[in-house]
Amino acid sequence: MADPIPAISVKRLCKEFDGHEVLRDIDLDIPAGTTTCILGPSGSGKSTFLRCLNWLEIPSSGAVFLDGRRVGGETNAAGKVTVNRRELAETRAKIGMVFQHFALWRHLTVLQNVTEAPIQVLKRPRQDVETQAMAILEQVGLADKAHVYPHALSGGQKQRVAISRALAMKPKVILFDEPTSALDPEMVGEVLAVMRSLAKGGMTQVIVTHEMAFARDVSDTVVFMDGGQIREVAPAKEFFAAPKTERARRFLS
Amino acid sequence: MTAWLSAIGIALSLPLGLLLAIIRWRRVAVLDGVLAGFVSLIRATPFVTLVLFIFFVLPSLGIELKPIPAAIVALTINTMAFSSEIWRSALDSFPRDQREAAEACGMSEFQALRRVIFPQIWRSSLGPLVSEATILLKCTPAIAVIGVVEITRAASRIGAETYEPLPPFLLATVLYTALIAVLVRGQRYVERRVANRYGYVAP
Ligand SMILES: Nc1ncnc2c1ncn2[C@@H]1O[C@H](COP(=O)(O)OP(=O)(O)OP(=O)(O)O)[C@@H](O)[C@H]1O
Ligand SMILES: [Mg+2]
Repeated sequence: MADPIPAISVKRLCKEFDGHEVLRDIDLDIPAGTTTCILGPSGSGKSTFLRCLNWLEIPSSGAVFLDGRRVGGETNAAGKVTVNRRELAETRAKIGMVFQHFALWRHLTVLQNVTEAPIQVLKRPRQDVETQAMAILEQVGLADKAHVYPHALSGGQKQRVAISRALAMKPKVILFDEPTSALDPEMVGEVLAVMRSLAKGGMTQVIVTHEMAFARDVSDTVVFMDGGQIREVAPAKEFFAAPKTERARRFLS
Repeated sequence: MTAWLSAIGIALSLPLGLLLAIIRWRRVAVLDGVLAGFVSLIRATPFVTLVLFIFFVLPSLGIELKPIPAAIVALTINTMAFSSEIWRSALDSFPRDQREAAEACGMSEFQALRRVIFPQIWRSSLGPLVSEATILLKCTPAIAVIGVVEITRAASRIGAETYEPLPPFLLATVLYTALIAVLVRGQRYVERRVANRYGYVAP
């Protein structure tokens, strides 16, 4: 049933900041249609790893593939990176991203936030895009907010708009960096519910989160990171029932 | 004449200043350093000196300008240098995640600038830019040194001819105040509209 080519494939990815090694030799395949949660202590490199997937952070070496196609550009053995801006933009258009602090564009209405990239980047006709955007907003329960500006929304609503903005690009994958960490507790549920329904609908999601219950119940795979390395990759149920590594056991307790 | 020259100076220098700021913000190699030097130099140079330089020194380098073009060039260069600093600080303080959100969607840097960054920073830069424009207005008397008739110069000439210096100077003051008031009113109006619509004044 699973696609033979992984949606995302990471090969020997390394990232350093000014000589300080933050990610070391990361290899990971993420099958299409699955939800993967990345867990790990603070500073373990989760965000950096996620941002390397769409090259918001340019890897020091190694490669990322989206549907078998190399993301970003070339890195040679000496660690020299050449970025192909145009190809990178094309690939990024297929990778949605949701940020911890929503990152909505404040000068645009909810609807405009959702339609901006499909119109500007994919050059799709405005009419189509607006119809589709309204359908997405309907689906996340925000159709009535289409014409307000982001400042008038609650955190939970903002994050649902941010997810809608990603969905409007019809992405192959959506990356989430702690999508609920900036929310008041009573709003966490509404955002997780959207992600849960996306998981059910077969969207490929990679989620950095501290929501353990969500990771256990919704994700297919858990990736546990510590000290810039992947320490454990396991089916979610297994990981929570019986983590194989000592570090993961300590992290969970 | 004053209003005219200032209007041209502002119209030319704001986009040019933005261009300088973008080049410096993107840290384009070499150019960045050259422009940084250029901007500090202009900012350190008294305006009168700049005017005199352009009018009297450039001809010896083979660039000859009539008084009015020279005045416009001087005003433009001066305001461009100052406004580029305003634009640059606005670019630097623009929320990083909004820019990354644009890039993550596949927007090019230019698209992100045009569609996401600029529509927000012009609003937050409005206040500082208007003060800059006010300073520009107050600089215009300096161009009298190369014989362009602007308000102060006209006033002193009338004063000299009529032996009644006070009325023309009072009139000149009123005119300056009126010009500046127009600018400031315009700024307030736009800021209020922005605040009403988007619920914030400046990022
Ligand atoms: N731009 C940067 N420049 C220098 N060091 C950085 C940069 N970004 C991250 N780091 C460092 O890389 C390491 C990993 O950071 P990262 O943000 O990826 O961790 P994280 O697992 O997401 O942590 P958290 O759970 O706190 O978000 C940290 O030691 C951090 O200080
Ligand atoms: Mg993080």
